[in-house]
Amino acid sequence: MKRIFTLLALAAFMAGSGMAQNAAPVSSLEIPVIVKATNSQYWQYVFAGAKAAAKDLGIKVQTLGAAAESDVAQQISILEDAVTKNPPAIVIAPTAFDPLAGPIEKATKAGIPVIVIDSSVNTNSYASFLSTDNEAAGRLAADRLASAIKAKTGSEAGQVAYLTALPNVGSLTARDKGFNEEMASKYPNIKIVDHRFGNNDPAKALSNASDILTKYPDLVGIFADNNMMGDGAGRAVQENQLQGKVSVVAFDTDDQEISFLKSGVIDALIVQDPYMMGYAGVWYAAAAHFGAHLPKNLDTGVSAVTKDNLDKQPAVGLLDASKRRLTPFLGQ
Amino acid sequence: MTALRERFGLRIESLLQLFVFFLTALVWVGLAIFAPRFLTAHNITNILRQVSIVSVIAFGELFAIIIAGIDLSVGSLAALSGVVLAATVAAGAPLAFSILAGLAVGAAVGLVNGIGTFRLGIPAFIITLAGLEAYRGVALLVSGGLSIANLPPGFADFGSSVTLDVPNLFIVTLVVGLVADFVLRRTRTGRYLYAIGSSEEAARRAGISVGAVTILAYVVSGVLAGLGGELLVARLAVGSPTAAMGYELQAIAAAVVGGASLFGGRGSIFGTFIGALLFATIANGANLLGIDPFWEMVAEGVLIAFVVYIDNVQKKRYAGG
Repeated sequence: MKRIFTLLALAAFMAGSGMAQNAAPVSSLEIPVIVKATNSQYWQYVFAGAKAAAKDLGIKVQTLGAAAESDVAQQISILEDAVTKNPPAIVIAPTAFDPLAGPIEKATKAGIPVIVIDSSVNTNSYASFLSTDNEAAGRLAADRLASAIKAKTGSEAGQVAYLTALPNVGSLTARDKGFNEEMASKYPNIKIVDHRFGNNDPAKALSNASDILTKYPDLVGIFADNNMMGDGAGRAVQENQLQGKVSVVAFDTDDQEISFLKSGVIDALIVQDPYMMGYAGVWYAAAAHFGAHLPKNLDTGVSAVTKDNLDKQPAVGLLDASKRRLTPFLGQ
Repeated sequence: MTALRERFGLRIESLLQLFVFFLTALVWVGLAIFAPRFLTAHNITNILRQVSIVSVIAFGELFAIIIAGIDLSVGSLAALSGVVLAATVAAGAPLAFSILAGLAVGAAVGLVNGIGTFRLGIPAFIITLAGLEAYRGVALLVSGGLSIANLPPGFADFGSSVTLDVPNLFIVTLVVGLVADFVLRRTRTGRYLYAIGSSEEAARRAGISVGAVTILAYVVSGVLAGLGGELLVARLAVGSPTAAMGYELQAIAAAVVGGASLFGGRGSIFGTFIGALLFATIANGANLLGIDPFWEMVAEGVLIAFVVYIDNVQKKRYAGG
């Protein structure tokens, strides 16, 4: 965290000291921030961070996104339209690994610095990549699931299953990989018995989780790799009243998941920092426009939120963007 | 056929529906043998819950299909009604009012679809396709793009509880199905619907008020789509603007596999239900057998094509000698 702000301060200094390559006044800058979909709280937090950064910088941002995370073509259109307007820089969370590579390369070639956030893309042609280390986050999820299982059954053993929202999405694939590897290496008595795709639809996740619970009556744990899957998995456990027996660890947060966390249906939420992706993303975009050299990769970090730390910082700020406190470094 | 109907007392209108019925029975027998825990009370209860919502929407869709129309807006409408229900309840309104509000939205959209199709002559495909986009947008606007959670526990309870061992959601489906079936098979309005589907011109010349009946069909489709959306809120315990995506295609598939023709004039509630049940069973079976979900999608597509093909073969054989 401290590293980010050292770099931001440096970038601001460089911009202020006249190393700017562009003579346009800062206040006229408008940076498009393109997320995967506007319909989840996660992306709304990215927007909240982006808008806060815009306010701190004295610039404007344009918040854009498709209506569904699976709509790759729509995001490509949005990106191409943004490039046509020749913005100072672009911040984008690529919906899919391969299809967005070409359009992002085109933007960089047109002289528009691209800051990639959240999910990786199959090219090196961008200014900086701010993301959660999703593999590490998947490993953390495995650790938390194992300890929840131990708390309920007495040992780190049993059958577990996991739900993936969509195939071929960089962040989800990395989380699943981290989860699988950690389970295999650290918890040999925990067996992953099933894995289903939920089409990013909580109703489908609910059906899948219910059927998995039917098929494996001794199941002790479920891992849901995003908030839609978490909503469905939590509801399945709640419907079957299995919260005393089945542990659930899910990614991200929304009102439903937090409600499940409080009532004990979900044991831990692996929370990313979408607010920081938006905040630092816009800062980096502005810095890149003025010629700053940025680090290629930045890990924005994850936290595990449980019923116990739910009411304390930093969990409070991570769960509710309006209560977010940036580090003491910025005096907020 | 009449002899068959009298003998079995079943609502089977054609060889096709008989075929689909036995195919579903065959799938159930197969899964009972090969899939562990398929034939348990727990799993059957799950299947009934899973089939309830699409069935209700499909029953409404059937009304539009019978008159040779189509309603592509039912998925988005379900989400919109669900969001209206959740938002109204969250704002503190009494439950009954909120439920009616969601249904009223369905009826209003149905009215728009019906009037647009009949009075303004806009093809049903186009106006309901526009609705598919537009009403999804309205749902996202009303909800601010986010799901509406923290609903009163009554919702979650209704969605997950049973009455006399039958899931509540399915009881609603049963009641709606029986009423809709009665309307279609035992009332004059039902006969008018089939007549218009068979030949709109002939129906008009016979003195049937084609406009009124057409609008009624779309209003029914809208109201039942709204009801389906509200049941989905109970099932998920959350009002989501992105719910029910693709449900319009599932509803049409259920109706067509159940014996309806997109050219109108045919179809039954019972057949539609069996169609929906077949798809729900395949999805459940795929999970229990661990079948790759991508193959499951291919299988469902092949099923639809196969059933329509059999239907065409049968029609050719019985049409005009």
